[in-house]
Amino acid sequence: MAVTLVKERWQSRVGEVVLGATPAEGGTRSHTITVGGDGTLPFLHFEGAVANRPVVALEVNDVEPDWSPRLKEYYAGVINDPAAWAKKCVEEYGADLIYLKLTGANPEGANRTPAECAQTVKDVLAAVSVPLIVAGCEDAEKDNEVMAAVAEAAAGENLLIGLAEQENYKSITAAAMVHKHSVIARSPLDINICKQLNILINEMGLPLNKIVIDPMIGGLGFGLEYAYSIMERARLGSLVNDKMLAMPMICTPGYEANRAKEANAGIEDFPGWGDLHDRGTMWEALTATSLVQTGASILLMRNPEALKLVKQNIDELMVSNA
Amino acid sequence: MEQYNVRFLPDNLTVQVPAETSILSAAAKAGIVIKSGCGGKGSCGACQVVLMSGEVKVEGTGKLSHEQIEAGVHLACKTKVMGDLSVEVPPESRLQEHQVLTGSVKGLLSEKEVNLLQKYGLKPLARKIQLSLAEPTLTENTADWAKLYLELKKHLGEGKIDVPLSVVRDLPEVLRAGEWQVTVTVADLPERSEVIKVEPGQSTIPAYGLAIDIGTTTVVVYLVNLESGEIIDKQGTYNKQARYGDDVISRIVYSVDAPGNLEEIQAAVVNTVNELVDSICRKHKVQREDIAGAVAAGNTTMTQLFMGVSPKYVRLEPYIPTFSYVPPVTAGELGMHMNPRGPVIMFPSVASYVGGDIVSGVLVTDMANGDELVLFIDIGTNGEIVLGNRDWLVSCACSAGPCFEGGGISFGMRAMPGAIERVDIDPETFDVDLKVVGGGRPVGICGSGLVDVLAKLREASIIDRAGNFQKDIQSHRIRQTEEDKEFVLAWAHQAEGEKDIVISENDVKNLIRAKGAIYAGIRSLLRMVSLEVEMIDKIVIAGGFGNYLNVPDSVQIGLLPDLPSERYEFIGNSSVKGAHLALLSRQARVEAVELGKKMTYLELSVGNDFMDEFVSALFLPHTDLSLFPSVDS
Repeated sequence: MAVTLVKERWQSRVGEVVLGATPAEGGTRSHTITVGGDGTLPFLHFEGAVANRPVVALEVNDVEPDWSPRLKEYYAGVINDPAAWAKKCVEEYGADLIYLKLTGANPEGANRTPAECAQTVKDVLAAVSVPLIVAGCEDAEKDNEVMAAVAEAAAGENLLIGLAEQENYKSITAAAMVHKHSVIARSPLDINICKQLNILINEMGLPLNKIVIDPMIGGLGFGLEYAYSIMERARLGSLVNDKMLAMPMICTPGYEANRAKEANAGIEDFPGWGDLHDRGTMWEALTATSLVQTGASILLMRNPEALKLVKQNIDELMVSNA
Repeated sequence: MEQYNVRFLPDNLTVQVPAETSILSAAAKAGIVIKSGCGGKGSCGACQVVLMSGEVKVEGTGKLSHEQIEAGVHLACKTKVMGDLSVEVPPESRLQEHQVLTGSVKGLLSEKEVNLLQKYGLKPLARKIQLSLAEPTLTENTADWAKLYLELKKHLGEGKIDVPLSVVRDLPEVLRAGEWQVTVTVADLPERSEVIKVEPGQSTIPAYGLAIDIGTTTVVVYLVNLESGEIIDKQGTYNKQARYGDDVISRIVYSVDAPGNLEEIQAAVVNTVNELVDSICRKHKVQREDIAGAVAAGNTTMTQLFMGVSPKYVRLEPYIPTFSYVPPVTAGELGMHMNPRGPVIMFPSVASYVGGDIVSGVLVTDMANGDELVLFIDIGTNGEIVLGNRDWLVSCACSAGPCFEGGGISFGMRAMPGAIERVDIDPETFDVDLKVVGGGRPVGICGSGLVDVLAKLREASIIDRAGNFQKDIQSHRIRQTEEDKEFVLAWAHQAEGEKDIVISENDVKNLIRAKGAIYAGIRSLLRMVSLEVEMIDKIVIAGGFGNYLNVPDSVQIGLLPDLPSERYEFIGNSSVKGAHLALLSRQARVEAVELGKKMTYLELSVGNDFMDEFVSALFLPHTDLSLFPSVDS
């Protein structure tokens, strides 16, 4: 007997956000990337539109990051040159876009000036033609200066810039509005704060289709399921027409998965855990694919091998099951 | 009927009333309480007002002098509105003892007078019966008590009549001293009557009763003439238990801390009541012995402490009170200053954190007898909330914290002289306009003022919806301190103290949590019964802070549901009002017991619903803006 699939009828869909701008649109990108737009729970093609394919960015830092040697190996020779690093990510490793993290701005670290940071962004924009995501150094005061300078230097490029948080969203939002960029709104695994932040940003005048939600996540084994359910709830909210939750989501599996002990401890310490190289790759890949399945639209990754696996998985998920 | 506008000066409040309304009633509608010793008969001359302009009908001038009448002085009770008026109410005609309602009428709730007695019928807790007994003879030799019993039976009808031994002991002499004319005080208890007192002769002094509200902070006592139902006097004071801690939890902790503490803390509250009773008795020359019964309402902890029952387990999970209902006890057992044989009835509780004061409030709202869906809120340290109608009632208690009573706020205080109760902030200049209780210099901010501050800070965009101070505002009133940001409401030279009166970002966050807890409680109750906010027909607000509450501002900040002002009603101290009603009406006493059983209690600490609701309410007005359609974005 044939089984009839139960189909939910949703009133609404996730909003779409366009990343990057072509010369015709005032930027210099070869193409734009549209994320979001789904009218169903992830990949239920039979139920509603799976409008845009999730995309994967590789992370580039403006100074040499304190990553594990296993990760740095992939970027040998370019790790001190953000432009070359970005180029390698796109041309060799197939990143859909670049996530440039301006760690060097940190006053406790290299303490680079806003102007220097802006220059790095320009260099990377010149080196690759894909859309760019740019985040600061996570020092709120400094980031306000740095991101304002970056936004101005890259005016019209429609960067996705971060991070706007509940305690500090005004200056980055203002910078995005003036120079026509989009903003990452980050909330600490909390649907209410997520929504509140979106309201606050939107009330300043930035349209909803210029906001991407970073719900914050935990890596595999470190709270991934909690993040999964928060994201699922946000997606359900979008589908029942909660406009203030209906933005595409961006996640940080590259950062979270590589923090885990399981992604760093050698086989000599834990013989039962198997080879570190494959384990580390799988840890990031599994974190990322889980997130894709609960509705992530943009994944910020570090490991090119994991990226390859994730893209393959996305290909499979994009095949219609209608 | 024609409607006319009456403007009161110097308050500059205007109300609309039908023709032929007395100025006294119009003033009451405006929230201005004019003295009226004689109750509107035109005889005491206390309600003098000056007519500035407009047409009136004068029905009496009482003791007003010729000069006064020439000068436009009218008696508010005997002057009827016949056109648009402008009336000045001089300070000496205003009732000063209580905080008077002023400000924009549409935002404030004037207290609703409740008269349920008519419906319930006067059947007081105790009354005096005058009896004439036949003198015994050698052939008519019935025993004294049997004789009295038979005569009483004629008055009381069927039902058991009890008499305590102490009364029987005095009986033979009393009967003979009065030459067989006696006055018997009888208490009307559940399913029986009890003789409280027998006095010689036909006494004309009525039986009195006490209606008591035992609040954690304040205690209020009404002395009531049980024959007429009239309130002889009302007095209130701070609960002497305050020295053992401000909130119920610290009182519980103290009461179980060491042997003897329970007795001490019980004595403190009984003494509080006794001092009020003594003061009223002295003033009105009433004998303690003639106070024949009392009804008290308080939260569960207060009730247990008043009865001398340890509240230890009220505080410990799973929060079990010792009793919800106890049969009447005698005043002597509690050490109260009244007839020691007189019954004392406590209002039943629902749960550890929904007590007799709330049951009493629900009784007064009459919500359990109507079809309308009523939401009853008592805002204090705990926000107790009851929702329902004649078919069902659900209740919960949400811990709002002491913010609205002034606790946990840098310059918070109770609503007393010197408290800022209204605030206006100019959104352009950030200039502040304050209204202070008593009209003097500001000392601090009370609950209604805090609600106002929050709404006005938001309106002037000094804070965002999450309560964060905005850094880009240039004003000398907004400043950064070492660990906080603050907004200056009054400069030291304008204030009573030596410091500037400020509201800090931390205060704002505390207030948001307090209002969030109340609103989340309301939503949790609604969720429990799957109803929406719009379905509430009436919201009744009780508690001392309620009548100064500006409803539009409360909605603006998301403390109260976004419903039209007409649906809001203020009921004042509903706890003592319910006690008063129960003192006078047997049906009310029976109904109170039923109400206690009928209310379903929702424990908010079980499950995630409340927490979810709470977090989404930590925003101005709310994360779900669709719940507050009238609040402009």
